[in-house]
Amino acid sequence: MKRTSKAKTQNASGWRKLAPKSSKKPASFPALRKKLGVAGRVCILFMVLGLVGLGFWSLDKWFGANAAPFDITGPGAPISEVSFSSDGPLSPSWFANWFGPLRGRSLMEIDIDRLRKDLEAEPQIASAMVSRQFPSTLCIEVVELDPLLVLRLRRSAGGFEDWIVGSQGKLYQGFGYSPAQLSLLPSLAVPSRALKKMAAGDGFEDLQEIAILAPLLELAQRNYPSMYRDWKVVSYQLENPDSPAAHIRIQSGKVKDIRFAPREYAAQMERLHYILLEPDFRKKKVIESINLCHDRSVFAKL
Amino acid sequence: MSKIIGAVEIGTSQAKALIGEVGDAGSLSIVGMATRRNEGMRKGEIVDFRKAASAVHAALEEAEKMSGTTVDSVYLAQTGSHLRGHMLRGSASVSSSDNRVSPHDVQRAAIEAKRRQPDEGRSYVHHVRTPIILDDKIIDDPVGMMGKKIDLGYWSIDGDDQAIQSGLNVISNYSLEVNDLILSSIASATMVAGPDLRRAGTLVIDMGAGVTDFVLYRQGYVAYTGVIPVGGDHVTGDISMGLRVLEPYAEKLKLEYGQATPLADEQAEDVWIIGNKTIGDRAVPRKAIADVVHVRIAELFEIISKELGPLLKPENLQGGILLTGGGSQLKGVEEVASKVLGQPVRRAGFPTGISDELAQPENSTVLGLLHYGLEDHSLPGDSSQQEEVGLLGKLGRFVGIGG
Repeated sequence: MKRTSKAKTQNASGWRKLAPKSSKKPASFPALRKKLGVAGRVCILFMVLGLVGLGFWSLDKWFGANAAPFDITGPGAPISEVSFSSDGPLSPSWFANWFGPLRGRSLMEIDIDRLRKDLEAEPQIASAMVSRQFPSTLCIEVVELDPLLVLRLRRSAGGFEDWIVGSQGKLYQGFGYSPAQLSLLPSLAVPSRALKKMAAGDGFEDLQEIAILAPLLELAQRNYPSMYRDWKVVSYQLENPDSPAAHIRIQSGKVKDIRFAPREYAAQMERLHYILLEPDFRKKKVIESINLCHDRSVFAKL
Repeated sequence: MSKIIGAVEIGTSQAKALIGEVGDAGSLSIVGMATRRNEGMRKGEIVDFRKAASAVHAALEEAEKMSGTTVDSVYLAQTGSHLRGHMLRGSASVSSSDNRVSPHDVQRAAIEAKRRQPDEGRSYVHHVRTPIILDDKIIDDPVGMMGKKIDLGYWSIDGDDQAIQSGLNVISNYSLEVNDLILSSIASATMVAGPDLRRAGTLVIDMGAGVTDFVLYRQGYVAYTGVIPVGGDHVTGDISMGLRVLEPYAEKLKLEYGQATPLADEQAEDVWIIGNKTIGDRAVPRKAIADVVHVRIAELFEIISKELGPLLKPENLQGGILLTGGGSQLKGVEEVASKVLGQPVRRAGFPTGISDELAQPENSTVLGLLHYGLEDHSLPGDSSQQEEVGLLGKLGRFVGIGG
């Protein structure tokens, strides 16, 4: 918007010098209303400016009081439900016991990556998947290790405790396994010197030799289940697997001593299966021993 | 972006406010207009400030409401018998060595012309430029032309400080500024007499209620202005006194039966004053009304004729004599004017584009104010210094304070 100043200066000695500098008290109601309108607009302007200033001051105060990093996501809803599933005997109650109380825990505050790692650190758990299901559910899916053998150890205070032996030789006290389930597993017989306590915490170090014999047990469980069910005790001598004396010994109900070489399990199982079908072996209730360690030869004592 | 401008006429009988919107292309459209009866004026001058202010403010408020906007400043019409016009002249030599006229030469001549101060207690109201003469030749725009001496004149109107201040105070009291004061007669003439008529020479007479303004144009420029303190109210007063009737009834008789030309005896009949022939009503001869009106109107034009003198020659007024204002609606007024002034007189019309509601003779002044205010009256070659209104100025305009 522009205005001309030249006319004003030229008329400085004219009528403009008579113009009042400020308007006086309104002489009519319309003039009063106009003045109030002007005053009102000035007030509104100052109010708006005041509110803007107050807003900035409040924000400054608030940010000053809250120096911590600003969490833009917010704390989120508290966990109201945990969905736990496993392919093994671990139950939601186990997880609840393991996880601790839910109260006060926010879904967003849970470090799900760390939770997963902690779960996978459990000896019974092979892998875990942790996820958030909004608004307030924590979902856990675990895949457990398949138990291979049972190791019964005598307690110093008396009694026994059963340890599960995994296919990688991991020793752990399984949770959720019923005695019936454990009774289906062969027992492991190892000299006490083979068990080495872990440096930190309770437990034993992994039995490295188990990894060598695990394929034999898995093959028997898978392909020769009736034979596998009869296997009672497993022991081994595998300090030097390449040594001719290295062997795996199975005590079963039918055969008191079955010896396997620590290699070519499929062929050995086939020979064992074949020889047990022989009439002489079939009509015997208990066979003393069968040795499958010597290539194609089978040494048996009825 | 359109601009809103306002115009106010503080008339003896009515206060008028007009609000117009100027488009980007310079077109003017009227967006608000209001009229209020004014009881604070006598013969074009404010005698009761509060009453005059009430009327003007009410008209302004209604006009603003009608337009849906507010104005910050207005053009104000100035009239009254206190106004006097005189011709001011100034000259300046062309300063450049090659005798080429520059805008500065024109400005020096203008300053020289306006050097004369009015009498004590008086101030200049309006300066209307007359033709520029370059070496005895009338030139519209001498800038860039060769010459030795520039003569410049102004028809300057000065008025009584108190009378002027009263009008300014009325406007200021409504929290408005006055853009400019414009003589009522010039405003009316701007509306009803186009550039062609003004160039040909014309006399415009604005017959108001309290005063009669007139302006005479020669070669497109104002040659004379005057204010006669006689108007329609005086006719009413004459009827009231002459026929011994109350003024309201006198006004009614004037409007219903008044005519400026006298009636023949055989055309006379009686008319009832009140009209319902009840107790108190009486009949008066219609001829008596016409005679009273004729005398006053004839006297008015005789005064104008005497004041203009030799300027009233027909050869100077090829554009004719125009009548406008509320008083021009009186029946037979143009015949009386023609007889007294010795030349054809006609009622002024309005240019095309003005609605019928607005194109009434009594609105010619207030309409003319807006049109005159929009015209460029600066000196040739004058690049006016335009002030850019800054952010604070715009803010001030928003809240309605400051200039």
